[in-house]
Amino acid sequence: MQCDLEGKVALVTGAAGAIGSAIAERLTDNGARVIIADINLQGAIQVADGLADAIALAVDISQPDSVENLVLQIMREAGRLDILVNNAGINTQAHRVNIDAFPLDEWNRIVRIDLDGLYLMSRAALAPMLASGNGGRVINIASVVGLAAMRLQSPFVAAKAGIIHLTRSMALELGSQGVLTNAIAPGSVMTDLTRKLFYSEDGSFSSRTEEFMQHIPLNRPGTVQEIAEAALFLASPGAGYVNGQILAVDGGWTAGYMM
Amino acid sequence: MKIDLNDRAVLFTGADNRVTASAKKALVANGASVIDDAAVPDLLIVSFPLVPCAGIQLEPSVAKARSVAQAMGAGSRIVFILSAIAAMPMRRYPEYSTQMAAAMAAMRVLAMEHGPKVLVNALGVGLLGEPEEAGDAAMLSHVPQGRAATRDEVIAPLLFLCDPLNSYTTGQILSVDGGWSAGYGRNF
Repeated sequence: MQCDLEGKVALVTGAAGAIGSAIAERLTDNGARVIIADINLQGAIQVADGLADAIALAVDISQPDSVENLVLQIMREAGRLDILVNNAGINTQAHRVNIDAFPLDEWNRIVRIDLDGLYLMSRAALAPMLASGNGGRVINIASVVGLAAMRLQSPFVAAKAGIIHLTRSMALELGSQGVLTNAIAPGSVMTDLTRKLFYSEDGSFSSRTEEFMQHIPLNRPGTVQEIAEAALFLASPGAGYVNGQILAVDGGWTAGYMM
Repeated sequence: MKIDLNDRAVLFTGADNRVTASAKKALVANGASVIDDAAVPDLLIVSFPLVPCAGIQLEPSVAKARSVAQAMGAGSRIVFILSAIAAMPMRRYPEYSTQMAAAMAAMRVLAMEHGPKVLVNALGVGLLGEPEEAGDAAMLSHVPQGRAATRDEVIAPLLFLCDPLNSYTTGQILSVDGGWSAGYGRNF
């Protein structure tokens, strides 16, 4: 789709990563000025250098001072903030265990970034958005595991489910002030990282992945561009009455059981 | 917003109302051609009554969608135009709530049956128009934005579901209801 985001300023967190950078690209393609924010500043600079109108800034969303400082810099450099894409998040492959064996420090690390960080970033970004009186958009990147639970990653599942319901309460709280909040729940997405974890180097499926794909009506992982397209829609002027929705972009994974 | 539907043939089936009339106009404006029943479409729009009512015949629409899906080629789409009540029943409309939920379940089953060839999704239309073209006036008490949708605000999400670039979304309902179905929007 094409839409008019001319004059809008968008903040994408985790924008040095695969999904974040794809979202940033679609927003700039359609006229927005985009803040490429990431804990990895070098990565953010690389992404920003490849885009039409982007500024790279560092942020650690789990730190209140860091998110406040980021918003101050955005206001100084861009003067406004219209769209927040809460994309930054982490998971772990190091602890594939049930909850009774899940280490506390790792639980805290994941929830502090994925859920607390989203709250901290939203709170900081909403201040100028609400003060402007122009309304805005918040797009939270959740996960299908927040809709349909999976085993062996309990803090990620809990944090993503938390993001999904937080999206709804944000929609109820902020809608009357013109700020619309929605979430995207990506399914399995092929990135350099997931290729190594779930697929073989050439992108073909490992045997477990092949079995997993049989649960997905489209029978393939998604691409980062396909996630980015949904983010662009939710940021677009046409989505002016879409609020509090969780859009699963998952190839049909959560449509039902393929049995 | 603009999407690229050049060379796509679209067939409308089911209820005929002002939303479907606007949808036809918007799809044609984006390059699609509206065809009649005789040919196999690339895009099938299955419409249902959007103001709560009794006596909806679900089965003919679902059977039609299934037979069209079987004939469709790769990259085709089916979009159900439902009420947001499909995903959030209303006490005063037991039959309509049940039928809408059943239509949503049918949409999900069609998505599972006909993927990866055909993507099947639904739009869930909330309160639209005064007097209502869709939904029920009581919805307004739970809409954070405090107003009904405009027709353009309903059509743009429909275009998104038809957009060839939106190619990994299937079996989903996208409600366009201002947040009505998100939870309790009242002052408590």
